[in-house]
Amino acid sequence: MSTSAQALAEAAQPIHPPPTSFWRQYVFSIDHKVIGKQFLWAGLLFLLVGGTLAMLIRWQWAFPYRPVPVLGQIFLGKSGGVIGPATYQQIFTTHGLVMIFFAVTPVLIGCFGNFLIPLMIGARDMAFPKLNMYSFWTFLLSQLLVLASFLTDLGSAGAGWTTYPPLSTNVGTPGLGQTLVVAAIFVTGVSSTMGAINYVTTVIRLRAPGMSYMRLPLTIWGIWLTAILNALFVPVLGSAALLLLLDRNFGTQFFVAGASAVRGGGDPILFQHLFWIFGHPEVYILILPAWGILGDVLPFFARKPHHWYKGTVLAMVIVTVLSAMVYGHHMFMTGMSPLLGEGFMLFTLLISAPSMVVVLNWVLTLWRGSLRFDTPMLFALATMFVFGVGGLTGLFLADISMDLYLHDTMFVVGHFHFTMAAASFIAAMTGIYFWFPKIFGRRLDERLGKAHFWFTFIGITLVFGGQLLAGYAGQQRRLFDPFQYTFIQQLRGLNRWTSFFAFALFAGQFIFVWNFFKTLFGKAAPAGANPWEVTTLEWTATATPPPFHNFDRIPEVVRGPHEFSNPEVRRLTGRDFAGQAEVLPGGGERGLAAAKG
Amino acid sequence: MLGANIRRGAATGPLPPDVPELGRYRLRRTEDEVTSYIGMVIFLGSWAMMFAALFFAYAVVRVRAPMWPPPDQPALPFLVPGLNTVVIAASSAAVVLGVRVHARGRHRRASLLLGAGAVLGAVFLGLQVLVWVGVWRAGLVPSGGPYASVFYALTAFHALHVLVGLAALAVLAMRARARAATRSAVRLWGMFWHFVGVVWGALYVAVYLV
Repeated sequence: MSTSAQALAEAAQPIHPPPTSFWRQYVFSIDHKVIGKQFLWAGLLFLLVGGTLAMLIRWQWAFPYRPVPVLGQIFLGKSGGVIGPATYQQIFTTHGLVMIFFAVTPVLIGCFGNFLIPLMIGARDMAFPKLNMYSFWTFLLSQLLVLASFLTDLGSAGAGWTTYPPLSTNVGTPGLGQTLVVAAIFVTGVSSTMGAINYVTTVIRLRAPGMSYMRLPLTIWGIWLTAILNALFVPVLGSAALLLLLDRNFGTQFFVAGASAVRGGGDPILFQHLFWIFGHPEVYILILPAWGILGDVLPFFARKPHHWYKGTVLAMVIVTVLSAMVYGHHMFMTGMSPLLGEGFMLFTLLISAPSMVVVLNWVLTLWRGSLRFDTPMLFALATMFVFGVGGLTGLFLADISMDLYLHDTMFVVGHFHFTMAAASFIAAMTGIYFWFPKIFGRRLDERLGKAHFWFTFIGITLVFGGQLLAGYAGQQRRLFDPFQYTFIQQLRGLNRWTSFFAFALFAGQFIFVWNFFKTLFGKAAPAGANPWEVTTLEWTATATPPPFHNFDRIPEVVRGPHEFSNPEVRRLTGRDFAGQAEVLPGGGERGLAAAKG
Repeated sequence: MLGANIRRGAATGPLPPDVPELGRYRLRRTEDEVTSYIGMVIFLGSWAMMFAALFFAYAVVRVRAPMWPPPDQPALPFLVPGLNTVVIAASSAAVVLGVRVHARGRHRRASLLLGAGAVLGAVFLGLQVLVWVGVWRAGLVPSGGPYASVFYALTAFHALHVLVGLAALAVLAMRARARAATRSAVRLWGMFWHFVGVVWGALYVAVYLV
């Protein structure tokens, strides 16, 4: 049975035969599912790189001047395994850049965006499949640029992930490494923009018949809003990187201050403006997909419809708009006009209102639900917690009078790790555990998954909690040897313990690596079409893993994304859920409408 | 939403007998064309943010400068760039006509018009090179402070876009001659070309005149 709307959708998206050659199938593929997997591999690999760099930082803060075991012999042979000040600069700089641009972004946006958008909205592929392929290969080029920067004479970038001039100009950081990394930021920006154009257009144009905006799964809302922010603000970062490259290589003076009395000079603060005009939306670029994933996973495992779905959507839209108007709170200490500062403070604090709507809706979704504590659910609950801590500490920093004291301390580091790192990372893990069966056809091992969960959750809370405490006690961030300062010497024990927790957290991630490969190449049984018994199209309207063309018939969507525990559905089907495109037997639709009033 | 799907893919079907205006009926867009059109609008909006950021950088640097232009550096010419504004406007006009006749299936004429657009684009670049050579000889080099930085960075970045656009127009002109250019490609590259022209207008006013 098919409706005329379905027939027209079919006509617009005909089934193409799958490619047969190896290269077209796995390498230069235009299939969004393959590209999603490519982003996943690239992102997870760089997550390992970024994590290793983090361990080196933690080693330095626990045992400064002592040779690093194992890794020091491999990477720091020249200095006998000891991390020198210049190397340390490069380590914390590249840790931040790698994690944000080359690890979390590809997993959350590249992988989930590509893999899920067509499957969850009921399309056969993205709107521009070739652009999608270019986006991945451009991204890979940027990753290679970062790796190449480590091989240059003076080493990689060392001006902090924010790349502030004058430190990031030739005066502060000479050498090819910094130039390559700034170029990598530009190139990855181009890749993000291509991806964003594709995502936004796909959601606007290729939703299946009946998939109205208010029936979109929240994951898609999160990724879509992220893509809009990406399309608007990544180009701003692009122009900042471009001007910095010009300053470094062509002698222009956009960011070099005070060149001469009559000609005037550039303005280092200008870079901070450009950077944070992008940089603050970037925070939401990384958290909105995480919110979206939670918005779906929590109702799925609480077996309840999402509480006030429209409120959450509205709140996410408001956050998206507000996120573009608060970037000045990163610059309270730059001598900005107090009036302007207060404006930015007001908008920043205002963001907590819609954020609270989102969080309260999660809590109310859980309220009196029939919770199923599978691994994805555990990770989702952990995301709620760490995001809560991150959000609350954000209030301290949004307030100017507090920020004057906490600025540039480890408190800031702890805060943004709880939000951007912990919440985004754990939400990415939620997504990986949840969609792994759909991506690879098998379910990750539950016991290993739970072990991984406890290591991750407890580890992350203790590590970043330790950073919050150290910062509140006055430890500045980025110090090579914090204990040169007498007032920080008493924090040696705290730093050392935080480092031990970090090592445990890192070690715990290898449970995930083991689980990943064991499931992928071991003898795990196929997961089946709908192992989690949930409602969205990718689980209910197609096979696992989906065929090349995603849907044999483009589904016609008849209900919202979270149809759980409806007594009428149970009466008709014996199940506690109904797929978004599922036609219930025997006049069920009318009965459902009646039950809903 | 449903309505959008109902129109989808209908362009290739047989003509319904009751269509009042055959010309308009043939010109209406297929669903794929609408999709690429939306993608192009989003791309241009995105790219406009990039130029907006560059103009913002210019504004900040200029507000901080004690004098603009600095007394020891040459003022920029405004006549040749003004002529260039006329050239790029004429080029855009040629492309508008080219897109229109191409959509009506007059490939040869479309090819001529798109080719004219590309040639005018090349003239624009030539004049731009003249301007660069002139001010360079007068002593303005990129490392000569923020005034020079702004001038060279903005004009060069824009010229790069002109280069991309005119290359695309040239290719399209050749393809149109062979009746191989798709309606969508001609239309979207036309949009890109107008975008480059509009950015030039803003750039001319902001950099050369004000």
